[in-house]
Amino acid sequence: MRNFQRYIYATKNYSENLKELKAKRLEKNKTHVLCQEERVFFSRLLGTIMAHHNEDEGSIGTSMHGVTAREQVFSFSVQGEDDGPSSHTVRFDDPTAKFALPVDSEHRATAFKPFSFAKPHMRAFHLGWISFFTCFISTFAAAPLVPIIRDNLDLTKSDIGNAGVASVSGAIFSRLAMGAVCDLLGARYGTAFLLMLSAPTVFSMSFVSDAGGYLSVRFMIGFCLATFVSCQYWTSVMFNGKIIGLVNGCAGGWGDMGGGVTQLLMPMVFHVIKLAGATPFTAWRIAFFIPGFLQVIMGILVLTLGQDLPDGNLSTLQKRGAVSKDKFTKVFWYAVLNYRTYVLFLLYGFSMGIEMTINNVISEYFFDRFQLELHTAGMIAASFGMANFFARPLGGYASDISARFFGMRGRLWTLWILQTSGGIFCVWLGRATSLPIAILSMMLFSVGVQAACGAIFGIVPFVSRRSLGLISGLTGAGGNFGSGLTQLIFFSSSKFHTADGLSLMGIMGMIFTLLVAFIHFPQWGSMFFGPTSDEKKSKEEHYYAAEWTEEEKRQGLHEGSLKFAENSRSERGRKAASDGSSPSTPPENGNPAHV
Amino acid sequence: MAIHKILFASLLICLLIQSSHAATKERLFSDLEKSALEDTATPSRVGEGVGVDKLSITWKVSSTATKEPEFKAIKVKLCYAPASQVDRPWRKTENELFKDKSCPHKISSWSYDPAMKAGQSFDYTLERDIPTGTYFVRAYAVDTKDHEVAFGQSTNEDKTTNIFSVQAISGRHKSLDIASVCFSVFSVVALLVFFVNEKRKAKIEQSK
Repeated sequence: MRNFQRYIYATKNYSENLKELKAKRLEKNKTHVLCQEERVFFSRLLGTIMAHHNEDEGSIGTSMHGVTAREQVFSFSVQGEDDGPSSHTVRFDDPTAKFALPVDSEHRATAFKPFSFAKPHMRAFHLGWISFFTCFISTFAAAPLVPIIRDNLDLTKSDIGNAGVASVSGAIFSRLAMGAVCDLLGARYGTAFLLMLSAPTVFSMSFVSDAGGYLSVRFMIGFCLATFVSCQYWTSVMFNGKIIGLVNGCAGGWGDMGGGVTQLLMPMVFHVIKLAGATPFTAWRIAFFIPGFLQVIMGILVLTLGQDLPDGNLSTLQKRGAVSKDKFTKVFWYAVLNYRTYVLFLLYGFSMGIEMTINNVISEYFFDRFQLELHTAGMIAASFGMANFFARPLGGYASDISARFFGMRGRLWTLWILQTSGGIFCVWLGRATSLPIAILSMMLFSVGVQAACGAIFGIVPFVSRRSLGLISGLTGAGGNFGSGLTQLIFFSSSKFHTADGLSLMGIMGMIFTLLVAFIHFPQWGSMFFGPTSDEKKSKEEHYYAAEWTEEEKRQGLHEGSLKFAENSRSERGRKAASDGSSPSTPPENGNPAHV
Repeated sequence: MAIHKILFASLLICLLIQSSHAATKERLFSDLEKSALEDTATPSRVGEGVGVDKLSITWKVSSTATKEPEFKAIKVKLCYAPASQVDRPWRKTENELFKDKSCPHKISSWSYDPAMKAGQSFDYTLERDIPTGTYFVRAYAVDTKDHEVAFGQSTNEDKTTNIFSVQAISGRHKSLDIASVCFSVFSVVALLVFFVNEKRKAKIEQSK
C-alpha cells in the first residue's frame, strides 16, 4: 500500500518510474505481486502510453515477424538507461510467475523444454511444428503411391514430373504472403486457415480421373507448405532471441521429417485399405483421407489449444499496443538491393529444393529400378526424409562451431563443404546399380543436403537486420523454386533415365554451390578474401546502419540494428576475442532458424 | 577413427555384394526360342470393362518347338503393346529378362507335361487393377529352374497385329465423392465458426 503512494508521486516523471520498476524486476526470481490499486494505476498509465505510440503503426506484413525471429521487437523491450522513443514499460498486470517456463520481459520463454506441453510457449511450439509436419505429409502424400496412381490415371512420365513441379510451386507464393497473413490474423489463424482450407484439396483427390486433375490437385495441396512461415512466426513470438535458433531449428527439422514419414505412412495405409477389400484404384483415393483428417484435426487443435501470444490471443490483445512495425516498402527495398538475397535464394534452391525433389521422386525410383515392393520402396524413401531429425540441427550446429573459430568465413566454408558433399553423394546415388550402395549413398546425400539447409540459416540472420523477415521468407521460397526447377529439367521428360537425372541434378547443385564464394561481407570478408581494409566500412555498425536513412537514424529507429551489430562481432571468429573491442555477449546465434 | 573403419568395412561389403550380384543376371530375351508356343487372345465384351470383360486365350506347343523336353510350366502374361510404352519408362522392354517390364500382369500358369502338347484354352476375366492401354498376350515356357526357355505371343514380332485395348476402372465411387465433399465442407465451416465466434467475443470485450 505504501508503495502505491510512492508511485503516485512519480507519475510525472515517466522514466524515473521505469527505473524503479526495473530495479524491482531485476530481483532474481522474485515477482512483485501488485495490489489492486497498483494494477489499476498501471493499466491506466500504460493505456495512455500505448495510445501515444500507436501513431507510428506501420503497414501490415512488414514484421514477417521473425521468420527467423532474430528480430528485436521494438516495443516491450526494457532497454538500458538510454531509453529510445521505442521502449515501453513492461506490463505489470500479469505477474510472470504464472508461466511454466522462465520468461523474459516480453514474456517470451527463455528455456526450451521439448517434452513439456505447458501453455502457452511449449504448446505453441508443438502445435506449430506438428502442423508443419502434417502439411509436409499431405504435400508429398502422392509420391509413394505414384506407381498405383500412374496406372489408374494412365499418366506419362511428363505428367508425373509436371505434377511434382506443381506440388512445390504453389508454396513459393503462399510463403511470401504468409508473413502478412500472420500479422493480420495472428499465428493461430494463419496456421488454421492453411490447414483447414487446404484439407478440402486433399480430400478432392477422390475426384481425380486424369492427368490434368491430378496436377491441379497437387498444385492446390502444395499451398499449405506455407505453414513453415506461420510455425516460425509463432515460435518467434513465444521464444527469446537467445534460444530461438535452436527452437526454430527443431521446429523446421521435425516438420520437414513429414516428407519422410509420408513415404512410410501412405503405402501402409494403402495396404491396409486393400486388405479391407478395396481395389487398388479405389484404395489409394481412400488413403488420401488420412492426411486430410490429420489436417482438420490439427486445425481444430491449433484453434482450441493454442494461443497467439504469450499473454493471450491477438484479437483480445489487439488494442493494447501494436508492435511498432517498419514500412513494408523500405523493408522490401533493402531486401531487393542486397545481392546476397539472390545468392541465398539460389543456394537454398539447391539444398532444400533438391531435398523436396527427392521426396517426390525417390520412392518411385527405388520401386522401378530395384523392383521392390511398394512399402519397401516407401521405407527406404522415408529414411531420406527422417534424417532431418538430426541432420538439420547438425548443420546449424556445425555452422555455429565454425563461426566460433573462423567467424563468418567458417560459416561459408561449412556451407560449401556440406552442400558440395551432398551433391557428390547425389551423383553417386544416380550411378549406384545395387540396392545397398544406393541406400548408403542416399543416406550420406540426405545428411549432406539437410545439414546444408541448416548451415544456410546460420548465415541468413547476418545478411540484413532490417529486412530479416523478408529475406528469410525469400530464401525459403527459393527452396520451392529450386525444387520446381530441378523436377522440371530432370524428372519430367523421358530424355533422361531417372538415375541420370539424379546424377545431373547433383552436378548442377555442386555448380550452383560455388556461388557461396560470392557472399562477401565488408566487415568479415568471404571465403577467400578478408574484410575490407577501409576503417569505416569494416565496422559491423556501418553495414547494418546503412539500411536506415539519415532521417530514420535521427529518429533513433536504427537502435535495434546497432545492438545487433554489436552482438554480431562474434562473427569475426577468434579475432573478436583477441580484439577485446566488444563485450562478447553470447550471441543470439545458437542454432539459427530453419525452414 | 572407429567410425572410419566401420564406414570402410561397410563400403567393402557393399561392393562385394554388388559384384556377386552381377554374375547371375545374364538371361536374355533374345536367347529364348521364338514361336515355340502359339497363342491367340480374343477379347469379348460382356459388360462394361475390366472386372467383367473376358479374354479368350488359347495356347499350344507349336510343331517347330525344339526345347520342348525342358518345359516344366507355361506362364501366360498380359503384355503392353508399344503404344502403351511411350513416355513410360516403367513399362520398358529390355533384353535382359530380369529387367524387362513389359509383361507385368500374370494371367495364369500351368504345369506342363508332354500330354498337354495340344495346348489349353481358357477364359480370363481382366483384373481390376489392369490400367488403360493396348495389350497382347505372351506365354513363356519355363524349365525346372524357373528360367524361361521359350515363348510365344498373340501378336507378330513388331507387336502391331492383334492388339486389343483395355479401359481401366476409374476407381471412383459415388460414396467416396460424397464423403469427400462432406469432410471438406465440415473443415471450412468449422474454421468459419471458430473465426466468427472469436471476432464476436473480441467485440464484446472491447465494448466493455
